[in-house]
Amino acid sequence: MNLFFDLKSKKVGYSRIGKVYLSSKVRKYFSTPNIVIPMTNTLIGNINFLEYFENHEIFLITKEIFLKIGFLQDKFRNTSFMYSHNGTLERYEEILHINEQIFSQDNICSIIPFNIPTSSIDKDFAEKEIKNYIQNINQILERYPNNNFGITIKIFDYSELIRLYFPLITKYRNIRILNFADLFDTFKNYRAILKVINEVKQELNNNLVLMASGRIIPKFYPFLIYLGIDLIDSSYMMYISAENYYDAIEDLLPIYKLKELPCPCVACSGRLNELLQEKYSQQKIMLLVLHNLISAKNYMNKIKQYLNTEDYRAFLEKTTHDDPLLYSSLKTLDKEYFKTLRLETPLSMESTLIKCIGPISYNRPDFKEFRKRITTTFTPEPWTKLIIILPCSAKKPYSESKSHKLFYKVIRKFPEFPDFQEIILTSPLGAIPRQLENIYPVNSYDIPVTGEWDYEEVQISAKMLIKLLKKYNEKIPIICHLKDGGYSSIIDVAVKELKHQFYFSKTDNDLTSSYSLKSLEETLITVKDQFIPEGDSITNTSLTNTWLRKLIKIADYQYGVDSGIKLFTEGITTRKNRTGTKFEIFKANSNDFIGIFDFRKGQIELSLNGANLLFPFDDNGNTIIFDGDTITGSNLFRPGIIDYSSNIKPNSNVFILDKSKQHIIAIGNSVIGSNDIRNTKKGLVAEIYEKL
Amino acid sequence: MKNYNENISLTSRITQIRQKIINKKKKVSNLRLDMPVSYWIKEDRLLSKRGKEFMIILRTKGCSWALGDSGGCSMCGYIGDSNINYVESNNIINQFDYAMDKKRDEIAAAEEDFVLKIFNSGSFFDDEEITEEVRTHIYEEIEMNNRIKEVVVESRVEYLEEDKLKAMRNTLKDKYIEIAIGLETVDDYFRNNYINKGLLFDDFLKAVELCKKLNLGIRVYLLFKPPFLNEQAAIDDCINSVNKLIDLKVDTISINPINIQKGSYLEYLWYQNRYRPPWFYSLIKALKKIFINKKDEIPVRIISDPSGAGTKRGIHNCLKRECNENMLSLLRSFVLTQKIEELVKEVPECECYLQYKLKKFYL
Repeated sequence: MNLFFDLKSKKVGYSRIGKVYLSSKVRKYFSTPNIVIPMTNTLIGNINFLEYFENHEIFLITKEIFLKIGFLQDKFRNTSFMYSHNGTLERYEEILHINEQIFSQDNICSIIPFNIPTSSIDKDFAEKEIKNYIQNINQILERYPNNNFGITIKIFDYSELIRLYFPLITKYRNIRILNFADLFDTFKNYRAILKVINEVKQELNNNLVLMASGRIIPKFYPFLIYLGIDLIDSSYMMYISAENYYDAIEDLLPIYKLKELPCPCVACSGRLNELLQEKYSQQKIMLLVLHNLISAKNYMNKIKQYLNTEDYRAFLEKTTHDDPLLYSSLKTLDKEYFKTLRLETPLSMESTLIKCIGPISYNRPDFKEFRKRITTTFTPEPWTKLIIILPCSAKKPYSESKSHKLFYKVIRKFPEFPDFQEIILTSPLGAIPRQLENIYPVNSYDIPVTGEWDYEEVQISAKMLIKLLKKYNEKIPIICHLKDGGYSSIIDVAVKELKHQFYFSKTDNDLTSSYSLKSLEETLITVKDQFIPEGDSITNTSLTNTWLRKLIKIADYQYGVDSGIKLFTEGITTRKNRTGTKFEIFKANSNDFIGIFDFRKGQIELSLNGANLLFPFDDNGNTIIFDGDTITGSNLFRPGIIDYSSNIKPNSNVFILDKSKQHIIAIGNSVIGSNDIRNTKKGLVAEIYEKL
Repeated sequence: MKNYNENISLTSRITQIRQKIINKKKKVSNLRLDMPVSYWIKEDRLLSKRGKEFMIILRTKGCSWALGDSGGCSMCGYIGDSNINYVESNNIINQFDYAMDKKRDEIAAAEEDFVLKIFNSGSFFDDEEITEEVRTHIYEEIEMNNRIKEVVVESRVEYLEEDKLKAMRNTLKDKYIEIAIGLETVDDYFRNNYINKGLLFDDFLKAVELCKKLNLGIRVYLLFKPPFLNEQAAIDDCINSVNKLIDLKVDTISINPINIQKGSYLEYLWYQNRYRPPWFYSLIKALKKIFINKKDEIPVRIISDPSGAGTKRGIHNCLKRECNENMLSLLRSFVLTQKIEELVKEVPECECYLQYKLKKFYL
């Protein structure tokens, strides 16, 4: 079957960026996520509508006449269309039959309607109706195997019923679009919404385009995109315009409330202003339709922008304040669906500023994954004899901040400073070992700081700190150089759970004052020799270099425990690039190229050489088994894959092995996670950057 | 009990509502049992010309389908007009005679011919409601009145037995008789799952054959916008049904837009805003679409006399009187003349047309 949906990149949550190719012959496409604009007689007759939406990529038509008048061939040759019928399935079949030729053309895809019944009596009724619908559309799908179809999915508020559709969807390969027509009608049932989306994402081919239609208003768009919806039908904007509502994004306002119009669009800067008080004016309603559609489209453009280049999650969190139901939905999604989301969310993003404002940020899937990973992969350096707990800083990475530089002045007075393990406490990321201060998201987050921490923040950091500290010998002393307030609450919790001895430097209000720094120094002097670690003293190994220590732990974080030692045990030399955004890593004394560290991504990317140092991989390694010995081109597609690890995340380093699993034949970055690899039969899986 | 693809979810709800109505029923005094529920005379379309209708609504025990296990049709509240308890034959005869007597002079004095419609909100040929004795009396009365040219009675198909029909045919020698059947839609699924009619299309076909054989006319009732359908589906269903019926060569099609009746299941949906009665625009659209391309005359008599038109419970556009009256007059003139040109006539546009176009998908 021809390519329909081409996933370009996975973003946070279920969201993704892709391209839809309605045509198999011409490489014409429209990008997702996107908004589907309705095209009706009323709208077409409005010149402003035509002007503004002239270049819009995807429209929805519901009148047969648009199919007939050579319309699609002329003015809108380069546009994509969806066709659906608002009435009976029977009539739709007739139209499909009569216009058979048009539907097999390039730029139109029809969506099988499910309009009847308009509501349900009870669950048995709903189940019966869905089964009847599925039975009826079987025939349509059989009859036109070469046409692309969308099917309309209705569940009448019973989330379990979504499973009734699965056999049909998996059976017919000409189903390309799933149009959820009643799922988002009211967010009161957000648990049902989350359940349905999760099941669809877990079980169905991820190359299916997800479309949302029905009673959806723009303030819900960001959340829908986060749920992995690719297309949103904006037809409902016509209905609300007829009801005299004005879309101001955060809210729908009744037009009579508006004294000034907060929008510069062609409608609002035109006659709409004068007509605000006209109760029955048709012109006003038409202008309102225009404004509302423009407003919806603009919002979608903004969403796309944020999805592409900014931290979409922070943007989404902000929009959840537009409706309590949105906030509840996001909070529930974070809490209850982490298991699926962790395989959908990229491990790192190119650093744009990650804003964490408020409790809704604490449990972002990428943060949760981060906290979990640190506690499972971080292993104490065997020569550690002292732990120092420090506060975080505004500037990232921490060691470049003024405060930490001053701390260093004290700490590095001691020649044995590599024996000291520094842990930085921060909300909402928890407790960060110094070695991991350059990875995502530690390298790019920002939070409001007032000195006060709420209960949840304290618990998150304390739990993580405790988990880390439990890995260390109980006799190792711990120095805390922290201010009062939130930090001390964390230590209070930790002290109760741990047997280690805690020492506190005396500080005044400013941790970098000479008084505080002096106290830190004195405490260090007192405490540093209390514990003598077993094994070689550190000065015998070459692993004291700060960056080496970092890279070892970063490698553990990315590739699993002990990976760092395997890669870097013989020491390294590094070479920065001209712009200072990455550096290359070579084996000391041999100039073998191991990989690079990218500051913006906060990740190591290994070379084949480096990857071979890690071979063989355990079950948790990021491996993909390729059906062959060599890969042509720089892309790895799904059909060539015979096996893969179960915990691959998007945007992570993956190793491609040959059929025998004995050789690494290529290395690259994954585009999708294991869950999607399982559910898809085609499409891009990884971008290769080095191969045999 | 025949399996009509019964929808238990629906029938249980309908029977619940029906029981409430039946339990509330007060006993009707004997005096009232001698009077019909209603009767009137008004303009109407005869087979091939304009005329007058004389309508008599008899009070009988009530529709057996509604009183039975399935609860009856989901949009019907006529059981509220019925007696529930058995009504004696002589009562019904008195009802009929009462109406005839009251209107005898008016009928005699009129210029136009008449069609007599005898409705009992049930089945004319159901012996539980109307016995053969009553029917015979009615036939004899009608036969004596030469102003009455056409007669219409209603019945469910299970009561259309050959001997009963023959009796009617043989007594009313020169009158044009139409048996009205509530088919509602040609789609079995809608009819039995949403309307709960308990009627299969095949059985309807058999009834049509029987009537044709006995030289009886067939009038089919179509329901415009059954429950659980949206506006466009209503239009599609109407077009489909009318076209199919034209092919079957029935004599009259009566299109009945939904009217929310008290005590019906549909009223319950309507209260919850899960059903909105149809718009005039939809009906006019459907009619135009069916006939606009037919070059010959319309091959079947189409009538439509919506009850509750222009009100919230009946077919309406907006609630402005003028708008709905304009629409109604369009419809009426089409029915009276049977000319499609009447439907395309210009009417003053109402603001609600834009509302209709913008909101149609969600109605």
